[in-house]
Amino acid sequence: MRISAHGLDIDVPSGWEGRIRKGPHGTQFRSHAVLHAADFPLSEERGDFGSGAVETMGAGHAFIALIEYDASSAGTALFASGGMPRELRTDDFSPRQLQRTIAGQAGTQRFFVEEGRAFCLYVVLGSMAARGHVVPRVNAVLPTIRIAAPIPPEQLEAM
Amino acid sequence: MTALDGIQAAATVLLGLLVVGLLKSHADILRQLHELGAGMTEEPRRPVPVDLAPGSATGARAHDVAGHTPDGEAAAVAVLGATHDTLLAFLSSGCLTCNGFWDALGAGGDLGLPAGMRVVAVTKGPGDESESAIRELARPGQTVLMSTQAWFDYEVPGSPYFVHVSGAGGLVVGEGTAATWAQVVGLVTRAAGDRRRRRDREQADQIDQELTAAGILPGDPSLHPGGVE
Repeated sequence: MRISAHGLDIDVPSGWEGRIRKGPHGTQFRSHAVLHAADFPLSEERGDFGSGAVETMGAGHAFIALIEYDASSAGTALFASGGMPRELRTDDFSPRQLQRTIAGQAGTQRFFVEEGRAFCLYVVLGSMAARGHVVPRVNAVLPTIRIAAPIPPEQLEAM
Repeated sequence: MTALDGIQAAATVLLGLLVVGLLKSHADILRQLHELGAGMTEEPRRPVPVDLAPGSATGARAHDVAGHTPDGEAAAVAVLGATHDTLLAFLSSGCLTCNGFWDALGAGGDLGLPAGMRVVAVTKGPGDESESAIRELARPGQTVLMSTQAWFDYEVPGSPYFVHVSGAGGLVVGEGTAATWAQVVGLVTRAAGDRRRRRDREQADQIDQELTAAGILPGDPSLHPGGVE
């Protein structure tokens, strides 16, 4: 299943589900597109970083969030990395990288710029102990995510 | 022309006028009912089964569902390959019977379904359904997808219509329509119980066959290591 919206696109594999939204869920720095993908049922009321969803995931599950920040962030040191990582290593994950600590879980965060857009890739594993099994499944999904260049404002007005 | 013929002709004319008057009155009633909204519900385009017992599409390969939520999120929901069973509730905003289902699904809490079963309400896509009406009917936290493609994929004849998909097998295991949520729960629960009993029976038969093939028959001492009391 392929879903596209707001310049983001993901080919959702069987057993996974995906959402792409844009809206008032974030702060002034995160009012742009948000993509979620998970191999467990996504709850409808989710924070950008998965609150409301990660609490329900099992040990063998994974949650992926791609959160867009304002384009003005693109020039800052935090977003110095170029391009979204399409492959993660098991060593990249740590319980300390979770937005909200949940016993047993592990996460990783990467800030980057792609197509002139600033993003944070945030991935949560249901179990740090099971990362050897779960990270390869995450790595099968990441390459299917595509980021398009932003639509110029004058073209948006004409649409 | 005799006097009798004249009376017959007059009676025929009177009866004709009466019939015309009745037809006109009937047409007026129908028009007024239409203006009041009667007959506006979406009716199935073809006869549908009356319960969630195995139907024509049972055993058919299920489909994942992709579309939009009423809030405008692009969304894909896992039905195939899911670790849970899914009950797809095909509903619409224009079907009076659906109102009870929107209320039941939006009430939250325990829906009375077998443990682990997920319910996804599926309406037609924004081109064929009113987004604002669905936003009003859907309650926060309820999974609702707007997807005309899903209606085609599952050959939904009209609303309300329910399709029970086995996540493990990726197959449709029951489908049909119902008048109340309690009916849906009862039918799904009974169907799940029937499948469990059938599975247990098949497993017991298989064990019997394997034991027989190994030369172990009923009453064999090896089946009762502690001895038969």
